[in-house]
Amino acid sequence: MKPPSVAALARSHRAERVVTALIGLLALLAGATALVVGQGWLGSFRAVRPVLDPIALDTLRNWQTYARVGAVVAGVLLLVLGLLLAARTLRPERHPDLALDRSVGSGLVVTASAIAEAIAVDAEQVDGVSRARATVVGDPEEPALRLSVWLHEGTRLKDVWRELDGSVLTRARESLGVDTLPTAVRVEMGTAERQRVR
Amino acid sequence: MRVFVRILSLLLGLALAAAGALLALEVGWTWARPVDGPLLVPWPAWRDRLAGLTWQDTEVRITAWVVAGAGLVLLLVALTARRKDVELLDPTPGVTVRTSPRSLARIVGTRVRAEENVSGASVTATARKVRVRARSGLESEEQLRPRLQEVVRTTLEDLPLTRRPRVSVVVDSPRDRS
Repeated sequence: MKPPSVAALARSHRAERVVTALIGLLALLAGATALVVGQGWLGSFRAVRPVLDPIALDTLRNWQTYARVGAVVAGVLLLVLGLLLAARTLRPERHPDLALDRSVGSGLVVTASAIAEAIAVDAEQVDGVSRARATVVGDPEEPALRLSVWLHEGTRLKDVWRELDGSVLTRARESLGVDTLPTAVRVEMGTAERQRVR
Repeated sequence: MRVFVRILSLLLGLALAAAGALLALEVGWTWARPVDGPLLVPWPAWRDRLAGLTWQDTEVRITAWVVAGAGLVLLLVALTARRKDVELLDPTPGVTVRTSPRSLARIVGTRVRAEENVSGASVTATARKVRVRARSGLESEEQLRPRLQEVVRTTLEDLPLTRRPRVSVVVDSPRDRS
């Protein structure tokens, strides 16, 4: 499992990639097998058999009930799996709210957008940062932060970093009352002209 | 590519669901009403057609090539749908920092262009390799190249990268002796 700060870098595409790769592999193997059989490499007798083999059909007819039940079950399974995959692909990323006070009878919840807004504004105050965007990602039990910062041209990353971690992230952790907040930072350097001192 | 893989997996999911639904429906229908004929899909016609084709027929071969080709495309799309981030060292535990290859190229490019006698430069950067192509009107490649290599190397060292990319510098100059 990826550490939460690495997982917070971007929406995970693992399910989509795995399923697409599997189906691609199956299709490749099926096509290759059909070509190999047609070439006669698996026997010249097999190459001239019809695609819908009468022997296979006979076997199915002998086991008709089982075949039918199996087909219906397979059909329903495919339907469910296909819909699950489509739903998973369409699902947007979760932005959990953070509960600061979990005691019974009272509750203080900070919305994800409020936290994000506050941290982004704080980060933009740092010298050298021209723009900052923050998003809260992860689960309600294990929230994580994704912080994108755009730096002015000529800014040294190491200098900015010290202040970002020292003040912005520390303040975020303090105000949320957590010891650690897994954070994924995406830095874009050299994006804006350094503002001239007027 | 990540967007593409998402679109593909959505289409594949819907296609699988439709195929499964049709399979269950047709088999169920034929079982319940054997003499009424197919419900939605003309599968007896398909069955007869398939029974008439052998593995050597051109139609079957073409379909097999197409299916294999599509499978290969799907596989490649799935394998290349990764973020191409440049890793930076963790400043504190629990914080991961990344930047983009374009950002790296920008930084190196600005530094190189700021050097004396460099009239222009184009930089391609990945996490593993940084390639600089500079133009100069006044200095020859022999003179300029070591200086630029040093500049690029220092710039990269100033960044907290986890992996130091290999640097390749090429200078185009009319002063080069042919």
